[in-house]
Amino acid sequence: MPDSAEIQNQQNRDGGWPYQAGAASWTEPTCYALLALAASGQAQSGAARSGSQWLARHQREDGGLAPCEPVAESTWLTALALLLPHEVPGGVDRARAAKWVLAQTGRESGWAYSLRMFLLGVRSETSLSFDGWPWYPGAAAWTIPTALSVLALEKLGRQNMDAQLKRRIEQGRSFLLARRCRDGGWNHGSTKALGYDSDSYPETTGVGLLAMHGSDGPEIARAVARAEEHLASCESYQAASWLRLGLLAHGREPKAPSLMRRGQTLEIALGILADAAQQGTNLFLG
Amino acid sequence: MVAAGAALALSACSQTPAKWAPVSIYRASEYSENLFDLVRRLIAEHGLNVRGKRVVLKPNMVEFDERTVINTNPKLVHAALEGFKAAGAADVRIAEGPGHRRLTLDLADAAGYFSTIPRFESLFTDLNLDQLRLVNLVRPQSKLRSLYLPNTVLNCDLLVSLPKLKTHHWAGATLSMKNLFGLVPGGIYGWPKNVLHWAGINESIADLHTLFPRAFSIVDGIVGMEGNGPIQGTPRPAGVVVAGADPVAVDATCCRIMGLDPERIGYLDLAAGKARLAEDVVPQIGEALHSVATRFAVLPGLERFQLPAGEGKS
Repeated sequence: MPDSAEIQNQQNRDGGWPYQAGAASWTEPTCYALLALAASGQAQSGAARSGSQWLARHQREDGGLAPCEPVAESTWLTALALLLPHEVPGGVDRARAAKWVLAQTGRESGWAYSLRMFLLGVRSETSLSFDGWPWYPGAAAWTIPTALSVLALEKLGRQNMDAQLKRRIEQGRSFLLARRCRDGGWNHGSTKALGYDSDSYPETTGVGLLAMHGSDGPEIARAVARAEEHLASCESYQAASWLRLGLLAHGREPKAPSLMRRGQTLEIALGILADAAQQGTNLFLG
Repeated sequence: MVAAGAALALSACSQTPAKWAPVSIYRASEYSENLFDLVRRLIAEHGLNVRGKRVVLKPNMVEFDERTVINTNPKLVHAALEGFKAAGAADVRIAEGPGHRRLTLDLADAAGYFSTIPRFESLFTDLNLDQLRLVNLVRPQSKLRSLYLPNTVLNCDLLVSLPKLKTHHWAGATLSMKNLFGLVPGGIYGWPKNVLHWAGINESIADLHTLFPRAFSIVDGIVGMEGNGPIQGTPRPAGVVVAGADPVAVDATCCRIMGLDPERIGYLDLAAGKARLAEDVVPQIGEALHSVATRFAVLPGLERFQLPAGEGKS
């Protein structure tokens, strides 16, 4: 079982975390490491403080966060910073980060794209009616950035829900429902290509289910069943952690499989977060 | 310098050569120990002087599905690793940035890389998460003006593209040039690297080629994929390895082996123009092209990519 000491051991001197020990700090592993520290009761530790300060230093003028230096573009992982609990000291300006996240939509849901496709007589194989979130500004929306943005906006909404937040959360959830694969789970977000169905992946099925917490109905039951199937045969520790988080969000009690770990920051952090959720504290939902 | 790998070389190398380097075609019916000798032969045949150089091997690793053959077989990658080491390379790394799955090492494990290549993890760089720098495109054909690209590739002396011989349901074929999509970091652009699609798939492939015009290519055509490639197609044994120093020439040859018309593959046309893709301007060594031709099936509606029946035999 991973613990917070493993997370602290991965921290760089600049306060951020790398994907793999010894590499440079990136925003995504820094956010997950901070979530894991918070889940371990160390939200106000020195490690968390310096990590939070690293994030604050890397918040851009537009309110968003770039993946790493030297990238000069805010991207999807701005939503991750909004998932950090308020107990983590310092950190990004949440209002500016939220404004950036709310301004993003998948390019395919814009009127210009819809008009162009209509004029070309192109009929999409997946619904383009709902606003999801892209990985990178100006691109289409996909499963993971949409699921994590929905969770981030829900967290904001617990403080102060307004009509815009509510609309984007509903749109994001509708996007996810529309992008389920034939087998009930989620892949990266492309359910069909040239009429051929695509299969789901374990990790994206876990993330998708997590974002659909509180929902029920036959579609969700099918997704839960697919997640359980994935978990039974899963050989990836990180994917299994996402599946556990998704299943726990729907009232299931999945067993933590005994799988080899590779020592990557996201893997350790997600293991801690899944274990904490199993103990009743799901930081993605709280 | 063996081939373009550094940003400084980019603008100087953006023109296609006046004459293509020869393309090697060799039969290989199975993934066996013989591949080690074959790679050594290819290195010698093409005069690759890698002594003291940094070599990066870029296989095609996309997803894993035990029902089909999506990825470059790890035995060929292992043979290339040992071959370039034996040729005196100072450092040989394997590097890839899969386009759909985020958990690269788990994918590589499922695809057999860990069990086939000793110390695989220490030899491997996940290009999706590598350190990077911004590279400006010179006279881009796509809507891209610049790209962040991984330092592991930008700093190497020789990039070796090791694709699988596959049909592709959008581009017609995915070979050594399309394989360069895996250089574009998912950590910046996401999974999939959708900015490339919006910028134009064929145009983006052509632009990436201008950055690495002298990548050496070794194509795994021992068992390729036909039909709904690059992921959901059907295994198609072709029993061939194709290699060369000009990716356009290698890919044009591979298309002909699959029964596809290289002049109808958009990115090949963009990179070189139809006249440079004619069979008689691409010199070949080893087996005669038509003796190894294996007509690959394509999805209904994609017959436009195929050569007339009879020009590639089943």
